[in-house]
Amino acid sequence: MQVFIRTLILGIVSGSVYALASVGLVLTYKTSGVLNFGYGSIALFTSYIHWSLIQGWHLPVWLSAVIVVGVIAPLIGAFLDTSVFRGIEGQPQIISVIATVGIFVLFEGLVYLFWNGTSHRVPSLFPAGVVHLPGGTIIGKDQFGILAVAVVAALGLGAMLRYTRIGVSFRAVVSNRQVAGLMAINSGFISGLSWALGIAFAALMGVLLTPQTLLDPLYLPPFIIAFVLGAAVVGYMRSLPLAWVGGILIGIAQSFFIQYVRSQGFISKVSDSIPFILITLAVLFAPRAIRQSGIGASFVVRTRETVRAASKNARFSVAVASFGFLALIPMWATGSWTYAVFYGMTLSIVFLSLVVLTGYSGQISLGHTAFMGIAAFGAAHAVRDAHMPMWVAMFVGALAAVPAGNLIGFIAVRVHGLYLALMTLAFAFLADSLFFQSASISGGEGGIAVARPAGFGSDKAFFYLVLGFLILFSLIAVNLRTGRTGRVLAGMRDSETASRSLGIPVTKYKVLIFGLSAFIAGMGGVLFAMILETATSRTFIPFYALFYVAVAVLGGIFDVGGAIVGGLLFGIYGKLSSYTPLSFLNRIQFILFGLGATVALARNPEGLIAELRRGGAAITRLFARKSRSTRSSPVPVAGGQE
Amino acid sequence: MNDLLAENITIKFGGLTAVDGATIEVPEDGFVGLIGPNGAGKTTLFNAINGFLLPTAGRVSFGDRDITHMRPSERARLGIGRTFQKLELFVRVSVFDNLLIAAESAESRLDIVSDLLSLPRRHREEARCSRIAEELLNMLDLGWARDRRAADLPVGHARIVELGRALCINPKVLLLDEPSSGLDSDETARFGQLLRRVNEEMGIAILLVEHDMDLVMDVCKQLYVLDFGRMIASGTAAEIAKDPAVRSAYLGEEGDEAAPASAER
Repeated sequence: MQVFIRTLILGIVSGSVYALASVGLVLTYKTSGVLNFGYGSIALFTSYIHWSLIQGWHLPVWLSAVIVVGVIAPLIGAFLDTSVFRGIEGQPQIISVIATVGIFVLFEGLVYLFWNGTSHRVPSLFPAGVVHLPGGTIIGKDQFGILAVAVVAALGLGAMLRYTRIGVSFRAVVSNRQVAGLMAINSGFISGLSWALGIAFAALMGVLLTPQTLLDPLYLPPFIIAFVLGAAVVGYMRSLPLAWVGGILIGIAQSFFIQYVRSQGFISKVSDSIPFILITLAVLFAPRAIRQSGIGASFVVRTRETVRAASKNARFSVAVASFGFLALIPMWATGSWTYAVFYGMTLSIVFLSLVVLTGYSGQISLGHTAFMGIAAFGAAHAVRDAHMPMWVAMFVGALAAVPAGNLIGFIAVRVHGLYLALMTLAFAFLADSLFFQSASISGGEGGIAVARPAGFGSDKAFFYLVLGFLILFSLIAVNLRTGRTGRVLAGMRDSETASRSLGIPVTKYKVLIFGLSAFIAGMGGVLFAMILETATSRTFIPFYALFYVAVAVLGGIFDVGGAIVGGLLFGIYGKLSSYTPLSFLNRIQFILFGLGATVALARNPEGLIAELRRGGAAITRLFARKSRSTRSSPVPVAGGQE
Repeated sequence: MNDLLAENITIKFGGLTAVDGATIEVPEDGFVGLIGPNGAGKTTLFNAINGFLLPTAGRVSFGDRDITHMRPSERARLGIGRTFQKLELFVRVSVFDNLLIAAESAESRLDIVSDLLSLPRRHREEARCSRIAEELLNMLDLGWARDRRAADLPVGHARIVELGRALCINPKVLLLDEPSSGLDSDETARFGQLLRRVNEEMGIAILLVEHDMDLVMDVCKQLYVLDFGRMIASGTAAEIAKDPAVRSAYLGEEGDEAAPASAER
């Protein structure tokens, strides 16, 4: 009985912290329409500041907490709102999802830059010592402190919304932003305030939680994403009280699981996955109106008039020239440059899988590492256990990812937009914690050996294998876009209703495109394993799925060229940062790419490839003018896919 | 024998009965209008006929097939096409591709391998379906808009594109949901002419939900009147105009001499 009560109380305490953060997340979502997937990494960042103020500046813990929660966090929130989210207001929801993914990557990067990502113990706000409850249960004093602060903060927010004038404005903006604007409510101010409050709650969570756990960049953000999103989804992100209740429930469930389910193996892995299982179930069984609230929120962006469709010949010659140039690289470049380029091209293959899915079809996936991992481990086992030759095994592996893709595609018929993003994120975490982390599948710390196929063992030869796949998948992607399947997918992106009315089997096409995307990503995963000659779970951690989306957007997620540019950019960047004077690049890589994706979306959703094309077009025009040709029509501009 | 028949359709949303035992029949070459005040349940009934909604009770049949439980895409392939009150064009796609998508859906089976590898079969099929789309484009005088994005067209032309796209699936019957909304009176009149051609020259049956009484009275051979989910009258335009139940539904109790034609103006 004592254990039971203790477990319950501890559950309620940690639950109250999740509840707090979940309320902050939902508050921001409801007022600004942005579900902040970067919430966890911002909390991580502020927690590190908190730690630095205490350790480095020797501030008292309470003062540091006040500064972090009361000043720094709100400023971060207000800054993000004005600098990023105001700029993409009115854009489809998926744009803001990807922008917050960029923020996730950015703040994670800042932590690595300033603190090297080392883990620390953070001192508690509250005195040590224990309280003896009647019945003999013993609870730490700090637990009561945490509970008190979390509950007071939540009640304070509730009271503000209920009784103050600003609170009324808040509720008005929540119920209808446009009408609130007509009622002379400054909805920009309100959304800025909600961001400030939301991030303050995230910071408060960090201050309360990190003394209990550990300040660790690998542990905290995924942990927070899991528990806070899980709690928010309980009320389908519509109700603050329900989000609060969700947090408490998750805290209690976690506490009991840790206390009573001690067994090792699969069950213990399930306990890490509770929030993701909860998210999956909640989304799958949500009422229709909620599941499909993302309808029409496909990745439709205004494309600029300056970028026109290129003639087929221009495209073809640019493509041949680019691939020809790539093919020459191993002949003159050093070994490490060759490595950098095939690393980049492998990444390009992964980005191609996102281009066909997000760019062409308007679907989103934040879980592509799952497909990559399934394929890589599938290929590894096919060789090790079924003794297949690598040439066969790599296709077997990539094909193994297809049913997983089909399944997500099938779910995508029922679930749209934001909820699909959540589902796929949960899918990546589940695949990781239930399967990739289990030694029987991933071979434990050392991973499983994945040899390169016979004849492609050297880096030089392997380069051409990767290039071959890149060309193959580029051709398939181009054929997909220009052909019937691409037309249908573009049509479905614009109106599923109309597609159905024309006899188009929408389900079949979604299953198809997710399967194709999973196959391409899977082959990318196999090639990644071949680069390292091992498949390990570290290559496929869910964080990378978010990072890949960010870099793919930066390169340009609407066409094949963007995927190639994005991948090469990252490969070359990695190589440059290996030179001593440029080694700082390594430390700011997440910052640069996270910031790049966020800013790119706000300024130019078509990514770097569009800038390159514009540059190319300008140069072409310059030459045309110099040669004083009599042609009056402008030279066709190499253009985006429109 | 491709009569479209919806019998005793009842549709409830929670406690609300949107359609209450309504029956409507569209004969093989018929031109049938469905009118009624706002909120009468016209679009809801439409959605049950083309499959977006499963009726709570009742039966929908096409020819001698029971299609009550068929998916919308299957009904479309049987030859039931539709347009939407709120335009549902593929906005980021060219006008021509809007039609081509429809033509391909009806005329040819997807062969994913030849599509992704750009094999000759793909180009043969594409050429064949392009001819169908091209023909309709010409018939509808939309050649000038061929390569424009659908989003860039004014409503009047967008409605015609949507009609053309529905025609591309080679329908036997077309369900048109308020095609005149957003059109001025000239455009509406021209649209009416077009519908008459579709019905008479192409032999396609039409079920028209419409608010514009001039258009309905002008083109429809037969009318049904829906009010609060119940079918309160049916008959020719002239009969309906005289029907006291209809007049009270539109004008309130004991209307004056005004015909229903002016009710919606």
